[in-house]
Amino acid sequence: MKPPPFEYFSPTSVDECLTLLAEHGEDAKLLAGGQSLVPLMNLRLAAPEVLIDLNGVDELARIDRDDGELVIGAMTRHRDVASSELVREACPLLAEAAALIGYPAIRNRGTMGGSLSHADPAAELPCVTTTLDAEMVVVGPGGRRSIPARDFFAGHFTTVLEPSELLLEVRFPAHGGGPGWSFHEFSRKSGDFALVAVAVQLPGDGASAGLAIGVGGVGDRPWRADAAEGLLAGGQRGDELLQQAADAVGAQAREHGEGHADNDYRGHVAATLARRAFATALERTGR
Amino acid sequence: MSETQAETQAATQQPKLLGARVTRVEDPRFLTGNGRYVDDIALPGMLHVAFVRSTMAHADITGVNVEAAASHPGVHAVVTGAEMAGEAKPITCDSLVPTWQATEYPALAHERVRFVGEAVAAVVADDRYIAEDASELVRVEYSAREPVASIEAAIRDGAPRLHDSWEDNFFVKRHFNGGDVEGAMAEADGVLELDLVSHRHSGIPLECRGCIADYNRGDNTLTLWTSTQIPHLVRTGLADVLEMPENSIRVIAPEVGGGYGIKGHLFPEEIAVAVLARKLGRAVKWIEDRREHLLACIHAREHHHRLQVAYKQDGTVTGIKALLYVDCGAYSVYPWTSTMDTGMALGILPGPYRIRNYECEAYSVTTNKCPLGPYRGVARPAACFSIERAMDEVAHAVGLDPFEVRRRNLVRDDEFPYESVTGLIYDSGSFHEALEKVCRDGDLEGMRRLQEEARAEGRYLGIGFSCYTEQTAHTTNEFIKRGVPIIFGYDTAIVRMDPSGTVLVHVSTHSHGQGHETTYAQVVADQLGIPLESVKVAFGDTAATPYGHGTFASRSAVLAGGASLRAAQKVAEMLVRFAAEHLEADPGDIELAQGKAFVRGSASRGVEIADLARWAYHRPEKLPDGMEPVLEAVSSYDADPGTGTFANAAHLVLVEVDPETGGVKLLRYAVTEDCGRMINPLIVDGQVHGGVAQGIGGALLEEFVYDENGQLLTTTFLDYLLPGATDIPKIEVTHLETLSPFTLEGIKGMGEGGAIGPGPAVASAVADALSPFGHVFVNELPLTPERVRKFVQQATGNAA
Amino acid sequence: MNQHHEVRLNVNGTEHTVSVPPRKLLVDCLREDLRLTGTHVGCEQGVCGACTIIMDGQNVRSCLMFAVQADGASIETIESLASGPEDLHPVQQAFVDCHGLQCGFCTPGMVLAAKSFLEQNPSPTDDEIREAIAGNICRCTGYTFIVDAIRTAAERMAGEEAGQHV
Repeated sequence: MKPPPFEYFSPTSVDECLTLLAEHGEDAKLLAGGQSLVPLMNLRLAAPEVLIDLNGVDELARIDRDDGELVIGAMTRHRDVASSELVREACPLLAEAAALIGYPAIRNRGTMGGSLSHADPAAELPCVTTTLDAEMVVVGPGGRRSIPARDFFAGHFTTVLEPSELLLEVRFPAHGGGPGWSFHEFSRKSGDFALVAVAVQLPGDGASAGLAIGVGGVGDRPWRADAAEGLLAGGQRGDELLQQAADAVGAQAREHGEGHADNDYRGHVAATLARRAFATALERTGR
Repeated sequence: MSETQAETQAATQQPKLLGARVTRVEDPRFLTGNGRYVDDIALPGMLHVAFVRSTMAHADITGVNVEAAASHPGVHAVVTGAEMAGEAKPITCDSLVPTWQATEYPALAHERVRFVGEAVAAVVADDRYIAEDASELVRVEYSAREPVASIEAAIRDGAPRLHDSWEDNFFVKRHFNGGDVEGAMAEADGVLELDLVSHRHSGIPLECRGCIADYNRGDNTLTLWTSTQIPHLVRTGLADVLEMPENSIRVIAPEVGGGYGIKGHLFPEEIAVAVLARKLGRAVKWIEDRREHLLACIHAREHHHRLQVAYKQDGTVTGIKALLYVDCGAYSVYPWTSTMDTGMALGILPGPYRIRNYECEAYSVTTNKCPLGPYRGVARPAACFSIERAMDEVAHAVGLDPFEVRRRNLVRDDEFPYESVTGLIYDSGSFHEALEKVCRDGDLEGMRRLQEEARAEGRYLGIGFSCYTEQTAHTTNEFIKRGVPIIFGYDTAIVRMDPSGTVLVHVSTHSHGQGHETTYAQVVADQLGIPLESVKVAFGDTAATPYGHGTFASRSAVLAGGASLRAAQKVAEMLVRFAAEHLEADPGDIELAQGKAFVRGSASRGVEIADLARWAYHRPEKLPDGMEPVLEAVSSYDADPGTGTFANAAHLVLVEVDPETGGVKLLRYAVTEDCGRMINPLIVDGQVHGGVAQGIGGALLEEFVYDENGQLLTTTFLDYLLPGATDIPKIEVTHLETLSPFTLEGIKGMGEGGAIGPGPAVASAVADALSPFGHVFVNELPLTPERVRKFVQQATGNAA
Repeated sequence: MNQHHEVRLNVNGTEHTVSVPPRKLLVDCLREDLRLTGTHVGCEQGVCGACTIIMDGQNVRSCLMFAVQADGASIETIESLASGPEDLHPVQQAFVDCHGLQCGFCTPGMVLAAKSFLEQNPSPTDDEIREAIAGNICRCTGYTFIVDAIRTAAERMAGEEAGQHV
C-alpha cells in the first residue's frame, strides 16, 4: 500500500520546528527515522496532513555527557547509541538494549526520539527509559519542560506530548560502573518486537543505589516492577529473595496484562526473564 | 594407448553435464538487478489498479457507491462486481469426484462476500497512490451474515451455509477403506487415538502477485503479463471466463519472484485487470501489496487429523483409521479444485510404511476464509506430521527407540515397486538407507552426546526424525484418478538450433528459482554435444512456448527435462544424418561432442556442428535428400506408467527448548534425500535448503490467525512471521541416487520434498527435549512459544 | 499536498533531479522516475529487506523513506556494483559460485546488505553474517548458501587485499 498525501516541511532548526508545529497543530506529525511511522502511513493507518521532517535538524543529533547525566538528542540513531563508547560507559543498559532494536537497516535510520514518541509498549527504549528514570526534555510554545519517563508514556502508542511539543533530548542518570545491568527480552524471532522485555539495574550485595527493574511488552506501556524493587531494596541478594523478586515481577505482569488471552504465559515469561536478568546483572557487579 | 588415440578419445568425448554441479547460468541477470519482474515493466499510457476489498467475512452487498471515487482527480474508472459480472464469468473449477459441490468465484464479489479481503470493486487511476486514495472513497454497504470461521463452525449442525445451493459446507467427502482395519484394531496390542492440528499458513513469495493487461481493440487481442507458474493454464482459464478465442490471448510470465505453488492459480484479479484493459483500451497494471497478499492470495495447510493407530508390541503398525478435515476457505481454486489437500492426504498418509489396513474419511470444508490452494508439499506436510508423530507415539507406547520403530515399519528395498494400500505405486526408493544415512551423516551419536551433556547442565535438547516418500511428477493416470478437470500429465519442449549452431529451448514449464535455464541446458547440451553456453532456455511466453502445464508438483525436471531430452535427441538425429552425409560415414558411427560431429574413433574426421547448422539453413542443397532445412523438434513427455515417481528423504534435527519461555532454537539440521539421478546436485541442495526453511517456518513461526468473526489478524509481516537467517540453522544435505525405473535417466522430482519433513521432525524433537518433564504428545504446529509452554505443562502433568 | 518537490539525488555516481510529490516513496522514485528496477518492493512494511539500498554509506530500507528526504543524498543501488556479467563484484561472484540465490527477488537487497556489512566487518563469523542479514528475508534458499557466499566473498576480498599489500 502507498501512503496518503501530506504536506512536507524540512526545517533545519528547533525553532523552525516549533513554528511549524504551532501553525499546523494536530494536523502535523513529526517524522524522525520513519521506521515506525512510515509503515503505518504505508498501511494508511496513519494519515497526517503535514509531515515535519526532523532529519535536517542537526542540533537534535547528539550524544553528550552533562553534569553526571548522559544526554541523547532525539534524532540520534539507534546505531550510534549502540556503538557509542560514551553510552557504554555511562549507561551500559541503554547500549545493550539499543543493539537489540530491529535489524541493522532499522538501526541505521531509527532514532531515540522517534521510538520514544511512538511509544510502542513492546519496544526497547520506552522500557529502558522507564527503568533508568530518564527525563524527557520537551520543548513547546511555552518553553522547555522535563517529563520523567514514567509519566511520559500514556498508553498504547500514546505519550503526554502536546501536539505543539517536540521531544528535544533524553537525559539519563549516568550509573556507569555502579550497579550491574541487564536487558533480557524474549521475542518469537530475533529482531522482532519483544513479547516481554525486562530491564534491570541491580547493585551488588549490600547496595541499593541505582536499583531499578522495568518491564516492557506487557500492558499498554512499560512499567516499573515496584514490588520486586521493594524486595531487593534492602541490599540482600540471596537466591531465594531473587526468586521471590522474580515472582513478584511475574505477578505484577499478570496484573498489567489482565484481560489478554496469553496473560498467564506472559506473566511466567516476565518472571523468568527477571530471574535471568538479575543473574546477569549481579554477575556484572563482579559478585 | 598411443598418444594420438588418447587425443582422439579426449576430443570426441565430452564430460557429461547431466549430474554435474554446474553454477547457474541465470544468476548474473538477477545479481546485477537486471531481472525483469512484472512490476519492472512499464507500458506507455499505463494505468494502475487498486482493489476495494471486503471488510466483512460473510455478508450480502446491499449497495456500492462509487460516485466520490469516480470523480476523484486522476481516476479513470471504478468498476463494481455488478458491472464485472457482465464482462467475465466467475471462476469455476469442478472436481469429477461424485460428492463434489461447486462454487463460483467471481472476479469481483457480486451480491455477496465470503471472506475478508475478497475484491469488491476496482479503481483505475493514473498511479497506484491515487488509485488507493480513491479506493478509500468507495462506499460498500453490507448486510452481515453469520460468519463461519473455523472447521468446527462449518460442520456443526445448523451451521450457516456459504453456498446456497449446497446441502452442507463440504466441497467434497471422501472415503477409503483398504485391507481389514476392523480386524487390525481387534487384534492390536494397543490402539492410540491421536488428534493433530496444522494451522493455516502459506508460501509467501517475496514478490507479491501482479499483472499488466494490454488490449488491442483493432484485432481483439489481449496480452497479460502476470507473475504466474502456469502461463498456459492462465491463458486457457482467461479464454473461458472472458469468452475470447484463446488464440487472441497471450500470457507472458516474466521473472517470477517465488511461487511455491501459490502462484499456480488463475486469480480473480487477473481477470479483473484484463477486463479493465479491455474496457479502457489501455494498459492496466495491478501490483499486489503485502497486505492484500496475506489477506486474499492463497492460503494453505490447514488440516485437522484424527487418527486411530493399531500397533503390536513389537512396534509394527497394523492399521490406521483416519478422519481428516481440511479448511479450504470460501471458493474452489482453478485449476486444482478444493479437493487437492484431502485427496493427497488420504492417499499418502501411510507414507513410507508398510501399513496394509487403512480406512480414511476426508472432508474438504468451506469457511469464510481466504481460499486454500496448493503450497509446496500439498497436504503431505500434514500427512507426514500425522504418521511420523504416530510412529513416535507407538515407540513410546511399546518402549522402543523411535528409530527402531521406523525401521520395523518402513517398506523394504526388496519390495519395490510397492503398491501402497491406497494404490500408489512406489516405483523405487531407499527408505531404510536414507534413515540410516541421515543418522550417520547428521551425526546422531554426536547429537545424543550433546543432549546428555546439556541435560546435565539443566538445558533441554531434543532430537527428532522424520521420514517420508513423496509422489512427484504426477502424470496422466494419477490425475485421472484424482478427478481433477484438467489432466496435468505431460509437459513440452521445443529444441531449435539456429544457423549459428546455438540452441534455443522453449519449454512449457516456468522457472522461478528452480534453475531450469541451467538444468535443461545441461540435458540438451549433452544430447547435442555442444557446450552449455551454446544452449539458452526460454519460457513463460505462450506465444513462443509450446502448450503445457507449468511448474508445480515437483515435476519440471522429470517432465520438461524429459521433453527437452527427447526433443534434443530428435535434433541430434538430424545433425547425425547430415554429418554422416557430409563425412561419407555411417550415421551409426557419428558422435556429437565438443561442438563437432565426429566419425567414432577418428578425431580428424569431423565437422563443426556450427557449420552443419549454417549449411542446413543457408546451403540447403548440401542437406541429404529429403531432409528439410529445419533443425528443430518438439516433444512432450509423460512418464509411463503415469503413476508418478516417488522420491524419499529422512530428516534429523537437534533443537534446544527453553521450557520457561517456550522458545525453540534449531541447532542442527540434516537431510538425506533420494531423488533418483540428479541433473545438478548444487541445485538439488538449494531446493532442499529452501524447502526445509519453509517447513521450519511452518513448524515454528508462520500462522494465519482468524478471529471468530473471520477477521484475519495477521495482515503484516509483523504478525505473520517469516524465518530469517538467524532462525534457520545451517542445513546439511546428503544424497542417495536410487533411479526411477519409470522416467528418462531415472530422474525423480524433488522441489517440494524439503518442506514436508521439518514439521514432524521439529515436533518430535521438541517432545524429546521435554521428556525429562514427562511424556507429551506434541500435536500442533506451528510450535509458538505459548504452545510449547502448554506442552511443558502437559508433560509435567502427565508425569505427575 | 500533491505539490511536487524538486529533489537532487546522486545515484550510483550520477546526479539526478526529479520532481516528486512528498509522499512518493524513495523506492518508487528509484524504480519509476529513474527506472532503476533492481531495487525491489517486497512488503512496504519495513520487514522484508528487498528494498535495501545504501544511502550515504549505510544500508537502509527505501520503502521507509520518502524520496524528498533523500534530497542531497548519495545512493548506491544494485545497478552500481557491476557493469555486466563479466565484471561482478566479489559478493556477486560468490553468490553465483555458492548458489546463493534462486528466484532472485531478495537478491539485490541481500547483496547490498552483505556488501555494506563486509565493509564494516571484513572477516565475520557465520553467526555475525546471519545477524547482519537477519532483516533480509529470502524465501527460496534457506540461507545456507547465502551464508556460504558471504563468507566466501569475505575470504576472497581479504585475499585480494593481502595481495595488494604484498
